[in-house]
Amino acid sequence: MLRAIVLHPNDNVATLIDPGRAAEPVQLTGEGSSKIELRADVPFGHKCAVRPIAKGAEILKYGQVIGRATSDIRPGDHVHVQNVEALRGRGDVEEGR
Amino acid sequence: MQTFIGYERADGSVGTRNVVAIASVMDNSNPVARAVASAVSGTVLLPGLFLRGQLGRDREITLSVMAGLCLNPNVAGVVVIGLEPITTGELVARIKKSGKPVEFVNVQPAGGTINAIAEGTRMAARMVREVSKIRSREYPISKLRIGVECGGSDTTSGLSSNPAVGIVADRIVAAGGQVIISETSEFFGAEQLFAQRAKDAATKKRFLHEVAALEKEIVDQGIDLRGSNPSQDNIRGGLTTIEEKALGAMAKAGKSPLVGVLSYGEQPKAAGLHFMAAPAPAVENLTALAAGGCQMVVFSTGVGNPIGHPVSTIIKVTGNRNTAETFADNIDYEVTGILERNERIEDAGNGLFAYVVSVASGELTSSEVLDVRETIISRFGMSM
Repeated sequence: MLRAIVLHPNDNVATLIDPGRAAEPVQLTGEGSSKIELRADVPFGHKCAVRPIAKGAEILKYGQVIGRATSDIRPGDHVHVQNVEALRGRGDVEEGR
Repeated sequence: MQTFIGYERADGSVGTRNVVAIASVMDNSNPVARAVASAVSGTVLLPGLFLRGQLGRDREITLSVMAGLCLNPNVAGVVVIGLEPITTGELVARIKKSGKPVEFVNVQPAGGTINAIAEGTRMAARMVREVSKIRSREYPISKLRIGVECGGSDTTSGLSSNPAVGIVADRIVAAGGQVIISETSEFFGAEQLFAQRAKDAATKKRFLHEVAALEKEIVDQGIDLRGSNPSQDNIRGGLTTIEEKALGAMAKAGKSPLVGVLSYGEQPKAAGLHFMAAPAPAVENLTALAAGGCQMVVFSTGVGNPIGHPVSTIIKVTGNRNTAETFADNIDYEVTGILERNERIEDAGNGLFAYVVSVASGELTSSEVLDVRETIISRFGMSM
């Protein structure tokens, strides 16, 4: 089965260490132990959500904030630049200043 | 006690290589330096950029970083190639202070290109024969100063290769050696965690200031860091934001306390883990670490970065099974067992440490054998 590593108990994403296709089941390892089903293709090394993440909520990996959801994300979704934005080095937005 | 085999220098440092540097003072003397370096084996070329017309901080950086590269323990002697005697004299004086053999030729008084190449080639040939007489012997690990860097990162970097490099960093520090982590922008989002390891309040404050000052520079210019960092290949490798990249990158520094903060290209004085404020791109950063006196840089890569440096020996490490296979020509050591076979990070790191000691003692790496090497001194301001 596909494997995905959860690095911290608080994390809401896992990193796939196998290339995944939509509808395939994924075994969570590390700090996770359940199974989830992918809702999209997720390439090797990319992340999938392990729980629902509302638009505007923090994305947590290593138990730390790595960005913010720009749309609602469901478990099994591919979590990447299409639905997450960085919060640092953002001179383009008022709150970065 | 674990040892490596190296070459002692007049200033007490120990080289893991024994080369003669052909250093060009400024861009207009590069063609002569290039001709000399290609004529004499056992040399490495250190081309110059700018200097003429530079002023203030940039002028000082160009001079001091080129001097730092020449003073790197791997360099046994230096032939300096310049245009005119005054500026050349400034670089030569900085090298001479260390007791390292240095000679120079200037294109104007030499009477043009052909004469300068001939003079420089004779100097380099003499010097290479001279330094070949230096006998290597065993030295303690405490004489090693290594840089830790990552380039062409992906999510496997933070999960496997960077933590394995961190084990190496901790072992060097535990043996009384020096380790430098750098790449200021790649602390955005991880700086508070890393700052907790500072040995005192002043070190913590200085580190946080370096990170904050760089971010302020970007923000004040209204720039969105996305699109530059993470880079397009980082994003293809699964890294989504600079924060995610930074949290993975930090693992290269192991778990030792942060004992000092260095400016661009500065050499550490104390033993232990240091942070150097320097731009993140590989060639600029390797140049800064080499000028800081690192004999070697352990360089973690995810999707694959091939570049080495003429003065500092670069060791390429990957934990990505695809890269280990498809980019094998440019990979020196793989730690794919961590993700593929549940190998303990500590075991993979100890294997990597043994390899690093072997490279320190003379085993050649891919960028040395293929001569995939580049050097460039960062430029922060303008010329006049």
